[in-house]
Amino acid sequence: MRHPSEGTLRRLVDDPAGVADPDREHVARCPECLTRLAAAQRDAATVAAALDTGAGDGAGVDTGVDAAWLRLSGAVTTGGRGAATSRTPRRRKALRSPVLAAVGVAAVLAGAGVAAAVDWLQIFRTERVAPVAVSQADVVELPDLSAYGTLEVTAQPNVRAVADAAAAENATGLDAPRVRALPRGVTGDPRYVVGDRASAVFTFSADKAARAAAAVGATLPPPPPGLDGARFRLDAGPGIAALWSESRGMPALVVARAGAPTASSSGVAFDVAREYLLSLPGLPPGVASQLRRFSADASTLPLPVPAGLVRTSTADVHGVPATVLTSRDRAFAGVVWVDRGIVNAVAGSLSSDEVLAVARGLGER
Amino acid sequence: MRARPARDGVRPDLEDVFRAAYPRVVAVATRVLGSRDEAEDVAQEVFLSFARSSVPAGEAPGWLTVAAAHTSLNHLRSGRRRATRERAVGADTVAPDVADAIVANDERRRVRAALARLPRKQAVALVLRHSGLSYAEVATALDLSPGSVGTTVRRAESALRKELSRHASSE
Repeated sequence: MRHPSEGTLRRLVDDPAGVADPDREHVARCPECLTRLAAAQRDAATVAAALDTGAGDGAGVDTGVDAAWLRLSGAVTTGGRGAATSRTPRRRKALRSPVLAAVGVAAVLAGAGVAAAVDWLQIFRTERVAPVAVSQADVVELPDLSAYGTLEVTAQPNVRAVADAAAAENATGLDAPRVRALPRGVTGDPRYVVGDRASAVFTFSADKAARAAAAVGATLPPPPPGLDGARFRLDAGPGIAALWSESRGMPALVVARAGAPTASSSGVAFDVAREYLLSLPGLPPGVASQLRRFSADASTLPLPVPAGLVRTSTADVHGVPATVLTSRDRAFAGVVWVDRGIVNAVAGSLSSDEVLAVARGLGER
Repeated sequence: MRARPARDGVRPDLEDVFRAAYPRVVAVATRVLGSRDEAEDVAQEVFLSFARSSVPAGEAPGWLTVAAAHTSLNHLRSGRRRATRERAVGADTVAPDVADAIVANDERRRVRAALARLPRKQAVALVLRHSGLSYAEVATALDLSPGSVGTTVRRAESALRKELSRHASSE
């Protein structure tokens, strides 16, 4: 029998059920084909690793579908100008940045989240947020954590729209935010979006980290004892967002609350792991030192804001310190605070006074 | 049956198709571009084209994923220019960090450059298969025979691996 084609061997790598029995049986007995199969496996694995972005097959990309739909519908109704092009990303990114950016940095720092099992030691519980200025270059260059181990999402947030506030509360167990007085120009009823509690486990691999370091011409600093194979968990959520839209589809006001991220470790002390992770090749030294400073008490979640695009200040919401973000063009403002384990955010195409008024007027939980 | 655009030129099934297909479109674009933000911009472009098209709803998933791959590959070239500009802007404010940052991201850029040099059909087949589309779905999307998908993907992987090794060994 002739040898199966390269294409057939390739299919054996990841879809053997799609290969005819005679071909499978031939390969199993043919040393030449087994060698070719091994080469196909190596190439497939190399390319899979090179293309891996943690995006999976899209199942974990649920977050942002609503915001993306609002952006698209705005662009469609304005004839494709503006919202759907990349020329107006500033407001869009600013609107979504508080929660996503915070979770992203927590993942970079700790590998992620929370403790539930008895052998997990809680090492991080968000009590405050603090702004960390990063440049556009830093945002682009922040290292992909998958280069230093494996990140496994154990529970997806499954972000979805629900009918009303009652449905949002049923889905999450949280009280839906109640806005007593809407800012001028914001009208109507909000749409509600909810997400379940999300969990991820990061397992540090000294081997992968050494390869990542070698790829950038650096030598991996020796890992602290016990870190190789150590696991870190992050839990965040569940969460509720209420969105009021402008006629063009952009969110005019977003009020969100979610379980604050918490991190835990299977044994290695958090500060040891954190210092080591921060020292890895690839993290810009300036950003590393800023992050290190802000996480010194292991309770403050660094909130990265684009340097030069957003101004930050502090304020008080019901006696709790809050971080106020205002875009340089004053088109956008947001306020973020943590109260009793819940991250709260109010943001919109509003002034800082207006978002603070909404924040301070939210109904009692 | 072809989808009929509504009076304002936007097809009525747009939201249903969007919500069903958006995660996969972003996943495909992210795999090509290596950046979620850029991938979201590409997804907007792709759906905007789809909104004004008469692609039958049943063919929408395949059309959208192929469009996402093509549009993303097109962006790789313009994206290179943009990255250079961003680094230049960043250099004004964080000069000491920039050299480190550029080195750190070099490998990711090399992968994307190698992807852009592949023959277009190979690149698209590779990205779609690695994004989780089945052999049959890739075959339908690219109008290939099911048997030739493996061959196309294999050639792409071999070429990409050689490109990556060549760059690695030349350093």
